[in-house]
Formats: sequence, C-alpha cells, structure tokens
Amino acid sequence: MPLPMVDAVVIGAGAGGPIVAHELVRAGWRVVLLERGKWNTPWDCLKDDLRNQRNPNLGNPFGPEDEGNPRVIVGMDGKVSVVAPYEGGYNNNAACVGGGTLSYGAMAWRFQPTDFRMASKYGVPEGSTLADWPISYDDLEPYYEKAEWELGVSGDVSNDPFKGPRKKALPMPPVSPQGREFEILDKAARKLGLHPFHIPMLRNSVPYNGRPACMRCRWCVGFACEVDAKNGTQNTVLPVALKTGLLELRTECMTREIMVDEHGRASGVRYFDREGHTWEQPARVVIVSGGAIESARLLLNSATKTFPNGLGNRYDWVGRNLQGHTYTGAWGLFDEIVYDDIGPGATVAISDFNHGNPGMRGGGALCNEFIRLPYQFVGARPPEVPRWGQAYKDWVRQAYRRTISVMGPTQEMPVFDSRIQLDPQVRDKYGIPVARISGPKHPHTLEISNLQAKHAEDWLKAAGATKTWLKLSGQGTSGGQHQAGTCRMGNDAQTSVVDANCRVHDLENVYVVDASVNVTNGGFNPVLTIMANAYRVGEKIAQAHARARG
Amino acid sequence: MLTGVKSLNRRNFLVTAAAAGTAACTGRPETPWRTLTADEATTLEAWCECLIPEDSDPGAKRAGVVRYIDIQLTRKFKRHRKAYSQAINALDKLAYAQNRGPFAALSFDERSLLLASFEKSENSKAFNMVLDHTLQGYFGSPRHGGNKDYASWRMLGVPPIPVRGRLQYSLLDPESNGGIS
Amino acid sequence: MKIAVILGLILFAAFLMVPAASFVYESGAPGACARCHEMAVPVDQWAGSAHRGVTCAKCHGDALTTDAQFHMTNARRVVEHNFGQVAERAQLRPGDVFAILQRCQNCHPQEYASWAAGPHSVKYEPLFLDKKHNSERHLMDDCLRCHGMHYAGGIRDLVTPLNNQGPWSFRDASMADKPAIPCLTCHAIHAHGNPLKGHVRKAGISRKEDVMTPSLAFWDRRARESVSVALLPLPAVHEGERPVKMSPDQRQALCYQCHAPLGNTQVRSGDDRTPVGVHEGLSCFACHDKHKQSTRASCANCHPKMSNCERDVETMDTTFFNKNSGHNVHFVKCADCHPKGIPAKKAKLERARQ
Repeated sequence: MPLPMVDAVVIGAGAGGPIVAHELVRAGWRVVLLERGKWNTPWDCLKDDLRNQRNPNLGNPFGPEDEGNPRVIVGMDGKVSVVAPYEGGYNNNAACVGGGTLSYGAMAWRFQPTDFRMASKYGVPEGSTLADWPISYDDLEPYYEKAEWELGVSGDVSNDPFKGPRKKALPMPPVSPQGREFEILDKAARKLGLHPFHIPMLRNSVPYNGRPACMRCRWCVGFACEVDAKNGTQNTVLPVALKTGLLELRTECMTREIMVDEHGRASGVRYFDREGHTWEQPARVVIVSGGAIESARLLLNSATKTFPNGLGNRYDWVGRNLQGHTYTGAWGLFDEIVYDDIGPGATVAISDFNHGNPGMRGGGALCNEFIRLPYQFVGARPPEVPRWGQAYKDWVRQAYRRTISVMGPTQEMPVFDSRIQLDPQVRDKYGIPVARISGPKHPHTLEISNLQAKHAEDWLKAAGATKTWLKLSGQGTSGGQHQAGTCRMGNDAQTSVVDANCRVHDLENVYVVDASVNVTNGGFNPVLTIMANAYRVGEKIAQAHARARG
Repeated sequence: MLTGVKSLNRRNFLVTAAAAGTAACTGRPETPWRTLTADEATTLEAWCECLIPEDSDPGAKRAGVVRYIDIQLTRKFKRHRKAYSQAINALDKLAYAQNRGPFAALSFDERSLLLASFEKSENSKAFNMVLDHTLQGYFGSPRHGGNKDYASWRMLGVPPIPVRGRLQYSLLDPESNGGIS
Repeated sequence: MKIAVILGLILFAAFLMVPAASFVYESGAPGACARCHEMAVPVDQWAGSAHRGVTCAKCHGDALTTDAQFHMTNARRVVEHNFGQVAERAQLRPGDVFAILQRCQNCHPQEYASWAAGPHSVKYEPLFLDKKHNSERHLMDDCLRCHGMHYAGGIRDLVTPLNNQGPWSFRDASMADKPAIPCLTCHAIHAHGNPLKGHVRKAGISRKEDVMTPSLAFWDRRARESVSVALLPLPAVHEGERPVKMSPDQRQALCYQCHAPLGNTQVRSGDDRTPVGVHEGLSCFACHDKHKQSTRASCANCHPKMSNCERDVETMDTTFFNKNSGHNVHFVKCADCHPKGIPAKKAKLERARQ
C-alpha cells in the first residue's frame, strides 16, 4: 500500500540514523524513520545479569527478538550453523530505538588522523584490502565536535599527545571520583613513561541537556541507564527531531527492500509493520543505517533487474571487508582489594600503542575494563586454574575483588573474504533471506593484537600485579557490536560501495550512514565516528538534494 | 452447528470443563522439579556440586543451581532438554560401568575423577553445557532460580544492592543546560 | 432464543468455574497452593517465615472474594500453565501489593496507623504530578527505585508526557491515590524467621527494646527481589577524608537504600543524613519512629531537657525546632553556635562536673 511521499526515509534508529534524520529535519525536510525494534526502556532489562545486551544467556532485552531473526554462521572449520540473536556467533548489536547506544558502554572516541590513511602509512599487507579513507580526520573534526557537544561527552583527553587536533575541549569533566583502578593504573602508566588520560564517554558526569549525572551504579554496559545519564540517540537527537513534527518514527517496522524505479533511482522502501502488513513508503532520498550486517543485507535483498546482484553491488563489494575489533589484553591479580563497586568502571586509557608499534600496522587503545558483575568474572582465570572444582571456587573467591583487566580494540586489517552474504535457504519471520557471516581475521591482526595484550600485561605488572595472564583472540570472523566495513567508502566505484559522501555509487539518492562505510575501523570504539559522519552526511544530503525537494 | 449445541450434554460438558480447568493444579506433582525426574535431579545435583563444591560458602547444590537449570529447561533452555537427559544418562552409565553404582552414590572424589574423564570424552560438549549453566545458576541473579539468597555474591563480598544516591539538580540552573539546539 | 439461553448458561458456568477452581485449589491449603510449581518457592518460604501461622487467604484473598482481578489472575495462570508458559516464579502484581496493605492493617493496626500518619504513606500523585518538580527535574526510571518501587513498569508507562512542560497525568488514573511506599517496601512477609511474639519471649528480650524483625527487607524493583536487611550494605560515609563514625544498627541499611550518599560517599551528598557533629554515631532509629518517621519527643531519650549551656535542647536553633534553620540537626556541630570555641566558663564547669 503506498503512503504519502516524504523527502527522506531513514532505515534504522541506531547510532547514525537518528542523527541524519535530525539534520534533515533541521533543514526542513519531512522524514520517516523506520526501526525494526521497539522503543525499549530500562524496564525491559532491569538488573538482569543473564539477560542483557552483554550477557544474553537468557535472551536479548534490546532486540532483535529471540525468535524469528536467525543468522547463518560459517565457522572456521566450514561448519554452517543457524544461530539465534542470543547465541554466540550472531554478532548482535541491538535492534531498538537508539540501537546499541541505548545499552552501550558509551566510550566516545575520535579516531586518530592516521586511522584514516592506514594504507599510505603502512602499506597493504598481503591478503588484506587495507585502504585509505576518501575523507580525512580534518573533514570529520567539526562533526566530531558537534557530536560531542550535542549528545554530551565527558572525560579529559588533554593529556593524550597522540590525539588529532581539536578546537574545543569536551563539554563535561570526567566522572569524579575516578575510582581505585584509575589511581593504580594512572600512576603505573606514568611510571612507564606512557600518557594516561580520562576516557571520553557519552555519559553525563554532571547534569547536561536536562538530564542528570551518572550515579555510578554497577549495571552499565549492556543495560539501559535508569537515570538517563548515558547519552544515546534515543534521548538526545531523536526527541529533538520528533518535537519538530517533521519526523515520524515508525517502530517495529522491518524494511523488506529498497524500491528502484525504471530510471535506476530509488523510489522508496517496502516494509512490514508489526502486524506483518506490507507498506510502501515513497521517498525522494533513502538512507540506510541498519548496522554493518543488516545494511549490507538490505542492499543485497534489494536486487532488481537493473541491479541483479543487489544495490551498489555491481563489483561485488557489498558485504565485503566485514570487520570489528580484536579485543585482547590482560588480567592482573593484586594483593590488595581493587574492586571499589563504583561504576562505570572504565576510566583510564592510553593511546600510546595505537600506532608506532615496530613492525606492526597500527594497534589500538588500552583501557581498564567496565565494572564487572559476578557472572562476568567466570571466564577470568589464569591457564593453570582449572575450570571447575574446589580450586576454581577458591580462585574466584580470592581473585574477584583483587583483579584488574586491561583490554583494547585492535584495529583490524580488512579481509575481502570476511563477509556478509544472503543465505540461500534460511529466512527470517518475514520471509526475508538472512545474513550469512563468514571469513577469517587477517593473520597480521592477530600479531598486532597479541602485542597489545603484552602491552596490557606490562602495564598491569608496573601497577603491582602479582600475577598476570593474557586474553588473546582466535581467528574467527570479526564483527560484534563494532561491526563495520561492509559498504566501504571510496572514490573508485570498482573498489567501494559508496562515495565520499556515503552515496551508493550507482544510485543518485541512496545513502549508507553507519559503520558499514568505515574503510578501516580505528583502534577505538567506533560510535562517535559513526555519529560524526552522520552529522557530516546529513548536511551533505540536505545540500545535494535541496533543489530536488521542490 | 445448531445440532451440535443441542446435542451437547450439559452436565457432561460442565463436569469435563471443570475437570479440565482444575486438572492443572489438583494433581500434586510427583517431583518438586518442573522437567527433571527425581533421579535426573539427584544425578545433576551431584554433578553440579562437584563443579562448585560446598565449603565455608554454599556449593552449587545449596545455591539452587539445579533449580535454575530446571526452571530454565521450561523456558530458554527448552532446546537443551534432550541434551540434558542424554548427558545425565551417559554419566550414570559411565558410573555403573566403572563403579557399579549410580553417579550420585559415589564419593565426592570418585565423582570428581569420573567427571574429569567425562569432560575429556566424546561428551565434552554436554559437560561444557552443564558447566556453563552451573556458573550462570551460581553467579547469576537470584531471580532466575539460582544463587539462593545471593550465596555467591556474599562469598565474593559484593552486596546485592549498592548504596547510591543521586545528585539533586535543577533544569532551571543555567549550568545544567547543554548544547543541543 | 433457546440457543441464547444455552450459550448464556455455558458462559455462566465457565464464569463460575474460575472461583470454583480456585476453591478446589485452596481446599487443602496451604500445602495445596504449592501444587503448582511456580508457587513452590513462595510457599516454602512462607512455611519458614514469621508469618507461618497466617494462612494464605488472610493476605491473598480466597475464592469467595469479589475482587475481579484476583479471579482474572488465577484464570490467566491456569491458561498459561496449561500452555507450558510457566513463570519463573509467582510474583505479586502491584494491585496485590496495595490490597495486601489493607490486610496488614488487620493484624498490625498500630504500625499501620503510624505509617499512615507519616511521610512514607505518600501517594503517587503528589510525587509524580508535582508541577514544580516536573518542570525543574527530569522524570526517569530511577525515581521509581524509592518513589514507587512496586509499580510494574517504567516511568514512561506511568506518567505522560515525559517532558518539563506538562501538563502531566498518569496513564492509569487509578495510580494517583496508591501509596508509593507501602509495607512491602521494607517488609518481606515470607522472609525467613520465627514468629515474633514467641521469639521475643524466648530470647528474654524486653518488649520495649527494638529487635530486628525478621521481615525487614528492601524491595529492589530492578532485581525483582526483597533483599533481606542482613544482606544490605551499611555505607562507609566520609566527611572529607575522615571516615564518619557510624552506628552499627543494621536496620539503617534499609534507610540507606534511599537516603543515600553519592558514589563519592560524602556525608550530606545526595540524600544522605548520616549524623555528624554532636549527633555523630547515632542510629536513624535513635530519633526517628520506624513507621511514622517522626522525631517527636525523641531528644528526651538521651538529653536532659536543659543543655549544658542551660538551654532547652528542643528549642535550640536547629532544624528540629525550625525547619528553615541553618543548622540541620543531623549535621549540627558545637562550633556552629560557638564559632570561637566553647565558652571558657562553661568548659570549666564541664571539667568540674567530670
């Protein structure tokens, strides 16, 4: 059933979509925002340590719904399995209003200038599709600033000598007090000649934007914030945009495909509402922001006669270069109690090892981990401690409050064969072919991440840990919540999916705005970069299509 | 349709309906467990207790780990029901073969030894499943049936709820207002 | 016509079946209630509780009740049970919590009357529809932690609109006059313990002396659990760097769940009222009535009417006498009124007395 024409339809209300919608509404556009999930609140998860977005043992509170949304995973051994959203390998982020930003840990990093030109800096390793971004840090800088101030970022990066140039400080100071882990690790890093600083966080450390400060509870990453101090798109740009009356948010609406007319222009989207009815939403511009896995899936599922392999997929690049972050690090056991029960826990970082590691192409930031709930400690065990029995119990009892974990996201070397495809058999509850995820990490990624773990271990030793052990990574497909790369941004239509303004090469009015467009994923959590880019692209779209709007 | 209603014996209908309505509640369950049989539960409790034994702090049995598993087997773990029956069966079989008795009847040390070999056998997948669920039931939130009275959190010295107040603030305070426009 | 009668009779019979089934179910009470798996835990707990002598129906109602919700819930449970959707455990609905409140009163009229006369009997309306508050503050889920912990939903389900312009109303208007902090906030009726009367006599504790009643527990809305007061933490409160001397009275752990300092543990931060200064080390209950919270005549518990400086302690310039006083009675120090130090003459007198 066709609906009245709108200026733009945005698919996905995660980190990127609502910001683009907000920018278009600001330009006076009429916009429809389609979100497959619900508008969840903290009530949907509460303090459930077995059913949250980080530990979905008993289900995913913030989507996608446990039943009817499978994905297919091809293991390193070639074994194919169908997995539900709460099972390992699904590479879930979230499916709700706000997307991952409702329940994330909220680290708000800017990538470093070098992160945008990895191929020029290091050369391309064999078997990787490493490349430079078509835009630079300087192109994004004003938008990073906009995201930091409009959504609200706390922290203090003034002590980080490796950061890109910035015009304005962060709008909020770091949370206070910092906590015991900060004190211990900050001192140790300085002793090592490193440059520790306060992690930037999309979290209010003081009242901001009419919402209160973080109250330092232990239920942070994986949970929605009870005091609304965590800044996601759902409590910042989205309410502002909705208030104008120009934006309409339709939840529980699953986009089936982007419709393309006989001239090769997108005419709108076809979607299912919560009752399963099909609707057609005509729009002058279509913006895809479903996350790296679902955005690629949608482009592939929108194949037509003109685009038989899916939109933007003339050269078979859609769904390629799937990457996330290879998280490695170390645990350290201390004599004294280091657990202070003050959230969010992650407070101190170094980016001394993001670049300049001899023989390595990049690296990543290292931070202390978020505060842990008892269940989250079950895997923290040095190799000599057995997995069960009296010795294991003794270990947990002794170590739980005496352990610090330092981890970091290693920037990955993109691999062409790490990819999203449509599964030929499995369909979701709407009958739409599901994503099939396959491909390995690049061996060099593992070399870098192993080195990062050593750096983390050195830091913990300097801090006085009496015992340390490493957390390393396997070679399995990367993706997870930091999923990126599947609709690469580039100037050459033969080796990328979207142009520098994130417009799909073949189509004049389809854009992709999420981490799919990231050529490389930085050695940092990607959300602020997604947000900054969404501000940038939102502005570009409003400019490019101003006249077409009539 | 009309004849159907007419021919319905009213008394029989009421009796049947009443019986159906109350059947669910009037039969006293033969086991306190929802899905496990009494024997299965006994074996599983003995199994989980080896994974997290009782000492100065409660072990898996007293912390209600099997209750957690039993409850979840009617819910999220429905898909594991068969695996549980098979795993428990396999373990008991092994106990009979090696020790001529059911697993639960063995001493703690014998059970632990047996489990160590079970862990490395072709049953390793089942062993890992039970271990995962045991850790969930022991360390997870009590609302799901395990971690009775926060047994594990007390052991770790983590109070169930922290004491945490909030900053009192006013929107009217210009300092409180941020940058969004 | 005839069909209508028959259908009507069938419907009526089906309608009657619900209370009838409840009756059958209750007939072997209370053990019979445990026949459904999801009831096993609460019934077991009840059997070990101080309320073990009080039958189920006394608090929960029985088949003869005219409360439609009671029968609806039972019908729903049977349907769900038969479809295999067994709840992890049976839990009270908010409606039950409010209904139970009245039944508490039947046996505890004194305590109920005290509570009803005190600030903790506040209703939802003045808390959530306050114009001044809502235009200056942000309503959020965490408000419900202390002001509506039994409400089964988030703030978005309770109040609309969630902005600072209003006008605000409840989505369900019947919430307006519901008590926000009912008995079950601080008491878990099924908590483990001995019936209080016998317990007191056996232990030889004087009736006047306060005992930690076994039912003391805080309803944590996010955990969906009543957490026994014995498991709740008493915070280590600080005044600057200095650790404040705290009363070891564990019952205060209940108070601290809401009247709590910030994460920085500083005295007076957040909603903290840990006494420092002249009252440092006192338990909340040294002055506050446990149900009414009033402090009336409490000074006399410790003080002679006249202070060392020959002044009536109850009329000194503190918030006890005048709530607008600059000297909060929780934090008042000698130096507040004697900035130059305690007068020498009186200090001498003091020494002489010792």
